[in-house]
Amino acid sequence: MTVTPNDPLVIVEPSTDTPLVWFDVAIRGGAAADPLGAEGLHRHAALLARRGAGSRDRAQLDETLDGLGASIDVALSRDSVTLSGLALSRHLPAALELAADVLAAPRWDEGEHARLLRETPQILDEVRDDDGALATRWFDWLCCPGHPYGRTSLGTAKSLARIAEDGRDAAIELWRREVVTGNLVIGLAGDVDEARAHELAARLVARLPRGARLEEPTVPALRTRPARAVLVDKPDRTQAQLRIGHVSARYGDPDTPALAIAEAALGGMFSSRLMQEIRVKRGWSYGAGCALRRSRLPHWFEIWTAAAIDVAGPAVALVRELYTDYAARGPSDDEVDFARSYLVGAMPFHVATARQRMQLAVRDAVFDLPAGYTARLPEALAGLAASDVRAACARHMHPAHSVTVAVTTADHARAALEAAHAGALEVVAHDAY
Amino acid sequence: MTSSWTLEAEASTGFGASARRWRLGNGLGLIAAIDRRAPIVALQTWFRVGSRHERPGATGMAHLFEHLMFGQTEGLPPGELDRLIERTGGETNAATWVDWTYYKMSLPARDLPLGVRLEAERMQHLVLEPVPVEAERDVVTNERRERVEDDVDGWLDEQLMAHAFTQHPYRWPTIGWMEDIRALALPEIRAFYRTWYAPNNATIVCVGDFDDGELLALIARHYGSIPPAAVPSMPGVVEPEQTRERVVRAPKPIATDRLLVGYKAPGQDDPDWAVLEIVATLLAGCPSARLHRKLVIEREAASSVDAQLTPFRDPSLLRLAVTTARGHRADEVIAEIDRELAALREHPPAAAEVEKAKALAETDFWSALVDVDGKAEALGHYETALGDFRRLGVIAERLTAVTADDVARVVRSHLVPARRTIVIAEPDEAAEEADEDDGDAE
Repeated sequence: MTVTPNDPLVIVEPSTDTPLVWFDVAIRGGAAADPLGAEGLHRHAALLARRGAGSRDRAQLDETLDGLGASIDVALSRDSVTLSGLALSRHLPAALELAADVLAAPRWDEGEHARLLRETPQILDEVRDDDGALATRWFDWLCCPGHPYGRTSLGTAKSLARIAEDGRDAAIELWRREVVTGNLVIGLAGDVDEARAHELAARLVARLPRGARLEEPTVPALRTRPARAVLVDKPDRTQAQLRIGHVSARYGDPDTPALAIAEAALGGMFSSRLMQEIRVKRGWSYGAGCALRRSRLPHWFEIWTAAAIDVAGPAVALVRELYTDYAARGPSDDEVDFARSYLVGAMPFHVATARQRMQLAVRDAVFDLPAGYTARLPEALAGLAASDVRAACARHMHPAHSVTVAVTTADHARAALEAAHAGALEVVAHDAY
Repeated sequence: MTSSWTLEAEASTGFGASARRWRLGNGLGLIAAIDRRAPIVALQTWFRVGSRHERPGATGMAHLFEHLMFGQTEGLPPGELDRLIERTGGETNAATWVDWTYYKMSLPARDLPLGVRLEAERMQHLVLEPVPVEAERDVVTNERRERVEDDVDGWLDEQLMAHAFTQHPYRWPTIGWMEDIRALALPEIRAFYRTWYAPNNATIVCVGDFDDGELLALIARHYGSIPPAAVPSMPGVVEPEQTRERVVRAPKPIATDRLLVGYKAPGQDDPDWAVLEIVATLLAGCPSARLHRKLVIEREAASSVDAQLTPFRDPSLLRLAVTTARGHRADEVIAEIDRELAALREHPPAAAEVEKAKALAETDFWSALVDVDGKAEALGHYETALGDFRRLGVIAERLTAVTADDVARVVRSHLVPARRTIVIAEPDEAAEEADEDDGDAE
């Protein structure tokens, strides 16, 4: 079979372990491709498409899917919108037919458009009610102003007002532009054989326009900024939810294997430095860790913890001290060996099920990485010297430019956070964004 | 000599090889199920001790062990257990609930002997000294701050159980009351370990890529010499019949009302539990569910509604969790719940609606058994909470047999206002003022 640039990429992972099939349809684009000022448009379009398609309105579509014991959910990331489905294998053709309707023939119901606009601010309320989610929302916004990943996938009061004005037409146009054969990555995993899966995938996209993939969004030239700290003031907190970090490398950067080791040694395991220093030695928090977010463009390197409010200031100071030392010196030889051993040994757990293998492969494809990139990372890890890891730390870890976000109660924590010298401290109301 | 095995039970798991339960001479149980699709194993040790085995004033004890058991043993310095497992690429964790505590290891298959050795070591040689106990006490208090004090959903959950139960130990939270966590005394902590952490109070569950004979020999070698303990039989506590509705309200820094409605429900082994599981799906378990459609879609009175039937050994709750929409209050949501339940009481659902819920239950059943960890958790839960891993299959069969008349019957008998407790978190004054100023800083 010849695959052209206008064909979708189809990934199949058969398994007869259970009578289930998972299917993902990743549409390249995602929140990073939202137009400026219309943040939340991809989410709005995808949810609206799911609320009635083909001959079925929302209620009929829900009823039909539920009757099959199946589901089709919308997942939004910075880089893609994904329709994620699950069905008993005996109902797979029927479930995929419904997914094909969602892709090819959304009804773009006016009533659902208006309802979604009423619902989204309430989802925002729920984010504000959850300290961890609220800390992440503020951190995403403040980490690197101007970066496409700084755009909220949910939207803001202003952007939702704009979507209310012309969002239905914009959603239709977005869907017409992005839901084309060449812009899709399709994965099927579970109780379906390879030939049948390809046949069903062909039917899934048969009614879609043929077209090429979306152009990659670009990251504008970004200014280097001094460290800053923001206290997101929320009443009656007993802890401070903390996020500390900055923009760093993309997943797939030549330094990705080295950074995976650096990430694991600093905060990816229970034995890592952050967990040992913050939880084990001091008992300041239930947990602490770090992550280099996996995305197609350069994304955040982020340290997280939730410290008791009376030690919030010392916790920020300690994290900054640890991170500054780590960025400058990197992990020790022993830490590199340990983290490498952990990461290589852990890979079989990430590819143990057909669903996991399919989802990793779909993600790699959305990130434009070679097939099998993630599954082959252990080979790359094996060839790294400790000095390679330390050099990668020096290139991609920038504590002097970190943003610190603390969701806590200003009356109790402000002075201590100011004393932590995490940069100029600004206090904002928790519902100001 | 305690190191001889007896095969007690064997049953198809529905996912390939059958599971077998073996018993060692000292009472240790072993459930083994081979799954060779990946070179990994799930090794879990389930203890028949949970928060129900605590006394008032010492709540949180079972959960504290979930932390302490990763500490120093006579043969392992502090932190060594985690380091040994992480060096293999494996992961280790634990969970505590009302009826059980279990310790899990996900290991490369070749490292199964290491996992067995470490589990046997901490079952018998845990070092409980003041410094590590105090350190973990601090960690647990911070865990509680994060999951309860600063989390409205955690607070709602805790208050629901505290008010729904007046006598049964299910009334206190698994993590424990803060004042109890702070007061747990070292002698009682040590006694708790000696009492409950014994081979005759445990079941090892192993699912994955291993050889049956080698596993039996390995476990017998490491556990065979551990003597059984005198595990107390706890007197059953019968919660008095609830005869009137209980309602609790409290202000919280949230934007809209959040509520939990808990109806008294039977234990998981009662035949009606499976019927109520179908009822939970019909009410709020899928996009076309009755309460979701009515509250979220038609009336837009809620932003979310969810239903959960707790899988406890003794009678517990069917819980409805609702977040109200802006401009709507908890009372109108409760009225709508009452209307839907009245409709179900008076008119059994159509057969197609019940079949829909059963299809979803079938999907859920298999979804929980996709990986070796999920399979081990299912086997361990049924063995520990209900006394026999084969109840997994029995309950799956009960779900397929539910009828529309069953649904109407259990709604009539269980889901009535007099048998429910409602906890409502309401926006406090500060949050309401903030709502009025809701702006956008961008």
